[in-house]
Amino acid sequence: MPDNWGFVFTAYGLAAVVLTLYWRFLVRREKELDDAGVVRQQLRQSSSASGPQAAGGGRLP
Amino acid sequence: MRRLLGSVTVAGLVAGLVMAFGVAPREETQGNVQRIMYLHVPSVWVAYLAFAVVLVCSVVYLVRRAEGADQLAHASAEVGVLFTGITIATGSIWGRPTWGTWWTWDARLTTVSILFVMYLGYLLLRGMIEDRERGARFAAVLGIIAAFNIPLVHFSVIWWRTLHQPPSLMKPGGAAMPDIIRYALFVNFAAFTLLYAYFVIRRARVLRLEAEADA
Repeated sequence: MPDNWGFVFTAYGLAAVVLTLYWRFLVRREKELDDAGVVRQQLRQSSSASGPQAAGGGRLP
Repeated sequence: MRRLLGSVTVAGLVAGLVMAFGVAPREETQGNVQRIMYLHVPSVWVAYLAFAVVLVCSVVYLVRRAEGADQLAHASAEVGVLFTGITIATGSIWGRPTWGTWWTWDARLTTVSILFVMYLGYLLLRGMIEDRERGARFAAVLGIIAAFNIPLVHFSVIWWRTLHQPPSLMKPGGAAMPDIIRYALFVNFAAFTLLYAYFVIRRARVLRLEAEADA
């Protein structure tokens, strides 16, 4: 029977492309969510820091 | 930890390729096209493993309502669908030169297609229901029902007359293949299992971050 290397490389190539695309999707999505988490944390910190300042502002003459 | 798992996985995949193309001999009947087996069989093993994890996590979720179990089930189902797709595609590519056809509705191919569609439905169901808790509950029930298809897929080649060959590794009386081919297959089993673990850990983390962002 002929070796049919074309079929072998197509199968391995297809699997490599699919798995690489999935890995890239995971990495990109994780980075997006990590960045969004950092932004949310900074917003929370700035809003909690500005709260007491506003209250303190009322004591100014 | 995750980086270490990633590195070990890459090393495992390279070792698997070396075993499949460098160490395992050319098969006498089929020729080199039989080397697709080192990709096709570990892929279906990972699919079985992934859906078994979905089953266990779904039961745990229904009993304890643990969000982590639901996220693990979701991640495992997604990776399982990915590997089932690879199994079907590589089987079809292997079937063309050996059987003379890309596809035939024989028992193994049909049951594996049903498995693929059921877990695709599982993922679609999760995406369709807005209420996270309700979606998780429905998905857990489907995850348990769909798992009953796994033994059907595995034993289909024994129970029915099929074009697909019967099991050569997990069969009564031991494996019917030379040791060197079996070792090459085991290295690829290990590599694909590591890849499964790596993907599931990353995907479960993404799902956890998404849940935190929505909260």
